[in-house]
Amino acid sequence: MSGRIIEVNQRKVQVLETGQGAPLLYLHGFADVHSVKENFLPFHEKLAQQARVIAPAHPGCAQTDENKDVDAIEDVVFHYLEVLDALELKEFDLVGACVGGWIAAELAVRHPEKIRKLVLIGAAGLFVPGALIGDVFMHAQPEYGSSYATLREMLFSSANHPRALELFPDGKGDLEDEVRRYQMLRLGSRIGFKPPYFYNPSLRNRLHRITSPALVIWGEKDNFVPRSHGETYAKLIAHCSGLKIIPGAGHSAQVEKPEETAKSVIEFLAK
Amino acid sequence: MKPVQLFCWHFMAYPYLAKDFDAKESSGWVTVPNSLWDNAKARGLYQEYIDQLVYADELGFDGMVLNEHHQNIYGLMPSPNLIAAALTQNTSRGKIVILGNLLPLHLNPMRVAEEYAMLDQMSHGRLVAGFAPGGGPETFNYDVPSANTREKFWEAADLIVRSWTEDGPFAHEGRYFPLRYVNLWPRPLQKPFPPVWIPGSRSPSTMTEVARRGYCYFLSSRSHGGETHRAQQEFAAVLEKHGDKYHPFRFGILMSTYVAETDRQAREECEEGVWYFLKNCLKGHLRREGRQLTYGPGVPYIPAAAWREYMKSYTPGRKLLGDVENWEELDASQSIIVGSAETVTRRIQSLIEKAKVGNLLIQFQLGNMPDHLARKSMKLFAEKVAPALRQASLKQFTEEYPGINFEQAAEAVH
Repeated sequence: MSGRIIEVNQRKVQVLETGQGAPLLYLHGFADVHSVKENFLPFHEKLAQQARVIAPAHPGCAQTDENKDVDAIEDVVFHYLEVLDALELKEFDLVGACVGGWIAAELAVRHPEKIRKLVLIGAAGLFVPGALIGDVFMHAQPEYGSSYATLREMLFSSANHPRALELFPDGKGDLEDEVRRYQMLRLGSRIGFKPPYFYNPSLRNRLHRITSPALVIWGEKDNFVPRSHGETYAKLIAHCSGLKIIPGAGHSAQVEKPEETAKSVIEFLAK
Repeated sequence: MKPVQLFCWHFMAYPYLAKDFDAKESSGWVTVPNSLWDNAKARGLYQEYIDQLVYADELGFDGMVLNEHHQNIYGLMPSPNLIAAALTQNTSRGKIVILGNLLPLHLNPMRVAEEYAMLDQMSHGRLVAGFAPGGGPETFNYDVPSANTREKFWEAADLIVRSWTEDGPFAHEGRYFPLRYVNLWPRPLQKPFPPVWIPGSRSPSTMTEVARRGYCYFLSSRSHGGETHRAQQEFAAVLEKHGDKYHPFRFGILMSTYVAETDRQAREECEEGVWYFLKNCLKGHLRREGRQLTYGPGVPYIPAAAWREYMKSYTPGRKLLGDVENWEELDASQSIIVGSAETVTRRIQSLIEKAKVGNLLIQFQLGNMPDHLARKSMKLFAEKVAPALRQASLKQFTEEYPGINFEQAAEAVH
């Protein structure tokens, strides 16, 4: 197993760490460390050249204990308040992608004082009329018993992107990757299956509470969380430097274009 | 002493799809466009299907079976309780088995408790109360999050039975369905409460929960190779562990059959309905073609550890029942038993012998099978197959389960 296990409120939490410098808490999404891969991806290694990257696995993901009392995003947020205490993180940079971006935004509206700078990448969490977040569960059911092409298309710019094929191969992949993917979907079903679908209707009217500088990053072609969600975040977060579009990337910009995405994050954090 | 119990199960498929349905549509479930519904053709369809069940009662079947499905062409019974209500008024003898109401889909389990109690009263105590958690399609039908489905299901099932047996009003302090006043009017007629049947697909946890409560386990598989026999052995072992003893009426299976005058005639008459059922009704459910919704990572209701075990032996793209390509393959699956009375008797008898199963829930009407053929098959079964099965099973069960008073045992199954 990679990283270490800390104990939080009588539950185990797996935490991966790399790099040195100011603490940067990274919250993972669907195509990511902990949700597919055991170890950090190139994007995180890039960030680690400038920061101490700390990536806990969400409840029920990777080696983190499942918590059957997690019913809503609120429960995940409180879980992370405990994790922050256990890690003694008082002030830190917060980067979240996909579902991790949603959790990051929810943390930021509740505890703006803890966050030095905030980066959201393809973040779920908002309701935008006419722009539904995609049904990742339906597409996680293979076509013809073995094809995950439509799931890859949802999470990446194209079903045939090499990184997409590596993280979500057709047929049966590495057993441990399969289990991690399953765990992430199971957590997703706890907080994002029942409408509101991967969003919290109250979040929008709380975004003004975020006091830290923020950057919103979106893949040019996001088929899971439509770009209008990024535009909404960028508009409603008070000190947002804007919406940075990563050309050629899909929903998982940090996986598809690790160099460009990491560069945007690093530049923003250094400003 | 009691012979095998023979039930007639009707799924109430939508039978008016065009010939190119399979080529054009990716699923018969959840996303199947309801613009395909044709009012002109469908007028009177429910009456035809209800009448077939009434006919089963007249023919001497031990009961009629209904179940709940939503947004699909496989089964047009979003509310089986409505059909059951009709049956209470049109039949007088057989059990009315609802297998079952999908508890996690109901906002409040009290509604199920109330309707089942009404049906038990309206049928003079003929209700068999089935509770089911629903599978993949149902997850999408009603947006039921998967992770806690099983836990939610058992809380609801236990609350319903408690509401039938305990004097009210009482407060239920549950995790999922907290209720201030549980006080059922009417109460069910059968005492202590109607028999409860629970479907499962061989998961040890479901068998354990069923055994703990003394209910009847129903195997929801449609194929009957060695797995049926294994399921019976597994359930028997679980019962032993709980200080209980297996007997054939603790267990039920679903199968389909078509009986005609000769083997050849049987195949000729049912083939269109069978292929309609396999290729259209099972698309999205038990076919790899299109997108199968019944089981998989998108409906993650089993714990991760159980998923790991499942994945170890999982073969991607493996054939499911609806993927059979020819009659011989279908025959080998032992899912739909087709033939003359002699053939069908022999094959079902061997299934009973091996699987030691006391409740056979049999589907006669398949896909778009016309009314007159479904009725002819039911009649031949009732007259030429059922008597032999009853005779042989009575002998078998008496020999294999000496000392069990089946009448009492059956009554005690709750």
